[in-house]
Amino acid sequence: MTELTLKINGEDVTADVETRLSLADFIRDHRRLTGTHLGCEHGVCGACTVLMNGEPVRSCITFAVVADGTEITTIEGFEDDDPMTLLRQAFHENHALQCGYCTPGMLVAARDIVTRLPDADEDRVRLELAGNLCRCTGYVGIVNAILSVIEKRRL
Amino acid sequence: MKSAKFDHQRAASLDDALKALGNADGEARIMGGGQSLGPMMNLRLAQPDLLIDISRVGGLDGIEVSGDVIRVGARVTHARVEDGEVPGVTGAYMQTVASGISYRSVRNRGTIGGSVAHADPSADWPSALLALGGDVVIAGQDGERRMPLDDFQVGPFATGLGFEEILTGFELPALSDSAKCGYYKVNRKPGEFADAIGAVVIGVSPRVVCGATEAAPFRVSVAEEKLAAGATEISVADARDMIAVHEPGFDDYDLQIHAVALSRAVGRAFA
Amino acid sequence: MADGGTTEGKGIGARVLRKEDWRHLAGKAKFTGDFQRPGQKEMAFVRSEVAHARIVSVTKPAGFESSVFTAKDMPDMQPMRAPSKMPGYKGADYPALAIGKVRFVGEPVAVCIADTRAEAEDLAQATLVEFGELPAVVDMLAAKAGDAPLIHEDWGDNLVMETFADDDFGKIADRATVVVKREYRMARHAMNPMEGRAVFAEWDDRTDQLMMWTSTQVPHLIRTGLAQFLGLEQRQVRVIAPDVGGGFGCKALLQPEEVIAGWLTRHLEVPVRWIEDRREHLVTGANCREHHYFVTIHATPEGRILGLDCDVTIDAGAYSVYPFTNGLEGAMAHGNLPGPYDIEVYRCRTQTMTTNKPPLMPYRGVARPGVCYAMEMTIDALARDIGVEAHDIRTMSMVKQEQLPFMSIAKKHFDSGDYAKSVEMVVDMIGLDKIRSEQISANGEGRLVGVGMGSFVEQTAHGTSVFASWGVAMVPGYEQATVRLTPDGGLELRIGVQSHGQGMETSMAQMAYEVLGIDPSQVTVTHGDTGLTPYSTGTYASRSMVMAGGATARACRVLAERMEIIAAHLLQCERAEVTVRGGKIVSGKGEVSFAEIGRVWYLNPDELPDDVDQGGIEVTMGYRPEPDSGAFTYASHACKVAVDIDTGEVEVLDYAIVEDCGTMVNPMIVEGQTYGGATQGIGTALLEESTYDSFGNPGASTFADYMMPGATDAPHYRIDHMESPSPFTEYGIKGMGEGGTIPTPAAIGNAINDALKTIGAEVTETPFTPRRVRAAIAAANKNRQGDAA
Ligand SMILES: Cc1cc2nc3c(=O)[nH]c(=O)nc-3n(C[C@H](O)[C@H](O)[C@H](O)COP(=O)(O)OP(=O)(O)OC[C@H]3O[C@@H](n4cnc5c(N)ncnc54)[C@H](O)[C@@H]3O)c2cc1C
Ligand code: FES
Ligand code: FES
Repeated sequence: MTELTLKINGEDVTADVETRLSLADFIRDHRRLTGTHLGCEHGVCGACTVLMNGEPVRSCITFAVVADGTEITTIEGFEDDDPMTLLRQAFHENHALQCGYCTPGMLVAARDIVTRLPDADEDRVRLELAGNLCRCTGYVGIVNAILSVIEKRRL
Repeated sequence: MKSAKFDHQRAASLDDALKALGNADGEARIMGGGQSLGPMMNLRLAQPDLLIDISRVGGLDGIEVSGDVIRVGARVTHARVEDGEVPGVTGAYMQTVASGISYRSVRNRGTIGGSVAHADPSADWPSALLALGGDVVIAGQDGERRMPLDDFQVGPFATGLGFEEILTGFELPALSDSAKCGYYKVNRKPGEFADAIGAVVIGVSPRVVCGATEAAPFRVSVAEEKLAAGATEISVADARDMIAVHEPGFDDYDLQIHAVALSRAVGRAFA
Repeated sequence: MADGGTTEGKGIGARVLRKEDWRHLAGKAKFTGDFQRPGQKEMAFVRSEVAHARIVSVTKPAGFESSVFTAKDMPDMQPMRAPSKMPGYKGADYPALAIGKVRFVGEPVAVCIADTRAEAEDLAQATLVEFGELPAVVDMLAAKAGDAPLIHEDWGDNLVMETFADDDFGKIADRATVVVKREYRMARHAMNPMEGRAVFAEWDDRTDQLMMWTSTQVPHLIRTGLAQFLGLEQRQVRVIAPDVGGGFGCKALLQPEEVIAGWLTRHLEVPVRWIEDRREHLVTGANCREHHYFVTIHATPEGRILGLDCDVTIDAGAYSVYPFTNGLEGAMAHGNLPGPYDIEVYRCRTQTMTTNKPPLMPYRGVARPGVCYAMEMTIDALARDIGVEAHDIRTMSMVKQEQLPFMSIAKKHFDSGDYAKSVEMVVDMIGLDKIRSEQISANGEGRLVGVGMGSFVEQTAHGTSVFASWGVAMVPGYEQATVRLTPDGGLELRIGVQSHGQGMETSMAQMAYEVLGIDPSQVTVTHGDTGLTPYSTGTYASRSMVMAGGATARACRVLAERMEIIAAHLLQCERAEVTVRGGKIVSGKGEVSFAEIGRVWYLNPDELPDDVDQGGIEVTMGYRPEPDSGAFTYASHACKVAVDIDTGEVEVLDYAIVEDCGTMVNPMIVEGQTYGGATQGIGTALLEESTYDSFGNPGASTFADYMMPGATDAPHYRIDHMESPSPFTEYGIKGMGEGGTIPTPAAIGNAINDALKTIGAEVTETPFTPRRVRAAIAAANKNRQGDAA
């Protein structure tokens, strides 16, 4: 067991965890923040994407102990976040989700795209989304939603 | 799909990490970004007894230019290279390579040192840096040593790094403005590991690398000679012959895509 | 009579945004893996590492014997049995934990429980299984050999089932002078919903019930199966599907892990949880699509198709699945091969073989992506042979609009539409002429461009008569829906089907709006809970909107009548003077709100009229279309691809879809389903493959080896609709959940072969990987050299 101190969604958290616990399982099973999903546990699908110190990372292949001293933001932690508010509305309007399982990871990745690449066009958005799998939507609504938010933020 | 048990030690300094490596019983592994270790441990393909986390060790994440050498610390992430932190022509070449590695959220944590130490033949940095040339900087129990990239990787997942050594960084050539670089990766999807790599750097002299084989990436000497003699392109058919010499075991398809990668990398260098 | 009131456009045909979105967007949805109870145990499996073997011994880790269970420890757990009345069908019982023998890599041998999944996996790793290896049957064609090893010794061969229909080709011999013959393969792959399978089970002593939350499309069937194989009464089992992260078929069957979880929680009296990981899914869920075809088309010199002759082999894996069996695919292949074509003679043999691979399950489209691919690819081969455009062969040979309704040669009762028009429209959309001139000006070096299409007609929402003819244990009948007005005038709508991405919480509410005019925001749709919803065979076969939607409409109409009786009394007018409209009951004398009706019925019954319907304001109605032979959706897809002839890589440059699913309830959802389905089809066509070595070891057990379609693989789809209502269903709705997957492999394969036609190369095996494309080119080059010599 190792002691772990970090911030999750703005809240200070201290916990004693098994070293082998993944950050994803820590978030989900120990903190009961189940919006972060697991789709592969080997880094490919992106369902588990969260922000660590403001940057998207895979929580499935990051051990919780590695997150000691960091600031984590999960899908539950974007209440007053402007890009996320726009993305949520755009995902809703563009039918960018069906079963919703990929959605939290998609949104976190999408937020990174719209903030880091304000000039991205459709090809670039698709390329950046290559690390987030969705089995339901064929990506149509997701790509359209992200492009619409990029457009809005330009105005 | 959960990792087997292991001990975790967060090293505060390089010495600390080296000591931990020296004292460990059982299998000890350095953890860089954990982006290769994480999946392998979740799949229980790797079950180390001890992970030595060097993510807090200072001095391993610098990028500095001194004269015609660029020092890149082992802990520099792919994302930082992608964002252009390595300067000049060398940096531009590395930027292209980095942006094709996996996905942004993996690039944010995965490190260049981890990638080269891991020595996965299908990974990008082992081939890309071999084309660049330069040295690997290694810290051991008895101090620091350098090893040319040419000698570093000896096989798939096998390098010249000793059990009790840590890769601390690279000394890479700062290419002049007239240098030409081309990198071409054949893979099934963006972000996937390579099925074939062609890497070409024409600095002081041309260096041509064929990568993503079953073995370590290798330099293609005939291609280098041709470019040194002034050629500005290499056809796929010629590339097939050149590579076949080194890799007689390739089947037709593997030979073909490696030849295409090489030919197109040359094309990109002269584009 | 209720006439709903669509003034605000929230009923049938409206692009209503989905009610279910917000919980997902907020990260507040609840999937099975999100359940947790104090004291729960996590399950992990010891799975077979060999394809075919006797289990010699299982050694449990010392000190943990009571945490590891094999079949021997669970004698009262019955193997899953899915009987079929198909002539000659040999179904193999599927034991939840292997008994004596293992028959595929990944088959559960023992289950381990511990406080955490990691600890359970430690136990699984420490459990030693000694296997006495037997020769494995890995390939379905090899399974037919007389000396092939037997997977089920008592069978005497490896044949699960055979169907055969012969015909007299002499009838067309003098007209059908062109004969093209091709061989095709479609690779086995995995369905890969992003949420794998998952189970959470606990015994509830208060109700004396097994409570199972499970990621399923068919909660009622799971209950029936669990009760049967665990020796419980069905009233003792309640199955709840909470949010389900995609299904696509693999969650439409009872799974070993569900049975085992039920057994464990019942006997150990602790809650248990199992969450499938991706490796488990890719290894044990490699269970769909694997077909082999010999196809011969007989046509006139102009390309009018007159005869079809096929030999189909289906790789059904090791066991039969409950309840649909592993014979379904063969029956479906047989009935769907002729597609929308009006042909005169049809000969078809299907052979379903057992192999040492995971049991075959019905994946979105079920058999039809395979048959459509085989048929449509052969049509394009014919077109190339005789030098005409393939779309002309299609329009010439399809069943014509004026022939409908029409009984096809494979006994499918086509209802409505204009198949040929969908072809003409999609040819126009993709810009065939422009692509043809592009091809002429291209020099053939580097990248070759090609165009291809695929058409299909799909039986959806087929009912009792169809399933009964397939002889499966479970035959759907009247689908039911319950509507209940709440005391404050809201509506609760309970359906036995299950929504896992299809947006039924929205589209079913639209159906209620269509009849009652009640705003969808005031409707709560409950689904996926055997304790709360009417019995249903669940969500599969593109049936939910037609069946549960139809039932909802009927239940709402009866509710409307009952409300009208009360309202007429409250307004002191004749029954005929009142109508439900716009979420109220209106008349010349004033109006009554639904809330008023709710108040009177529940709280002030003293105000009710004497002739009130004593059934109250809660109604369950059943519905089945007449005839129930299915509503036939159809579509044509066309695409443009570029083939890199040096690497064999294929890029989809453009993709056009024209589809007709009858009356669309929510076009936004229709389009979303179509895009998603087509993207799965792209996976089948270009990327997805569960590979095996000659010993039956799977080669793709992670997403590093198994390629899933991502955002760069999916094209920017363009879609257009036709709307030919079915004469047989409520509002003319046809099912459409699966269709997107069906013609994609054909369209892409045809486009590749169109690109390669100048080289004379053809791809005939999915996925059309760069390696296969290059091999086709190499073979064509070799042929040419051979010809020259
Ligand atoms: C989904 C996915 C896709 C990927 N795609 C690609 C790709 O396309 N191309 C590509 O090149 N890579 C790819 N990767 C791998 C990624 O680039 C990793 O970041 C990299 O290979 C390893 O770096 P790391 O810092 O994460 O190393 P770690 O995982 O921390 O370590 C890897 C190995 O190197 C050793 N090691 C690490 N650092 C040191 C050191 N300083 N000294 C000595 N030994 C050390 C470790 O002990 C371990 O054995 C992918 C990874 C994932 C998860
Ligand atoms: S669960 Fe982390 S990337 Fe798939
Ligand atoms: S919406 Fe189901 S996986 Fe994306």
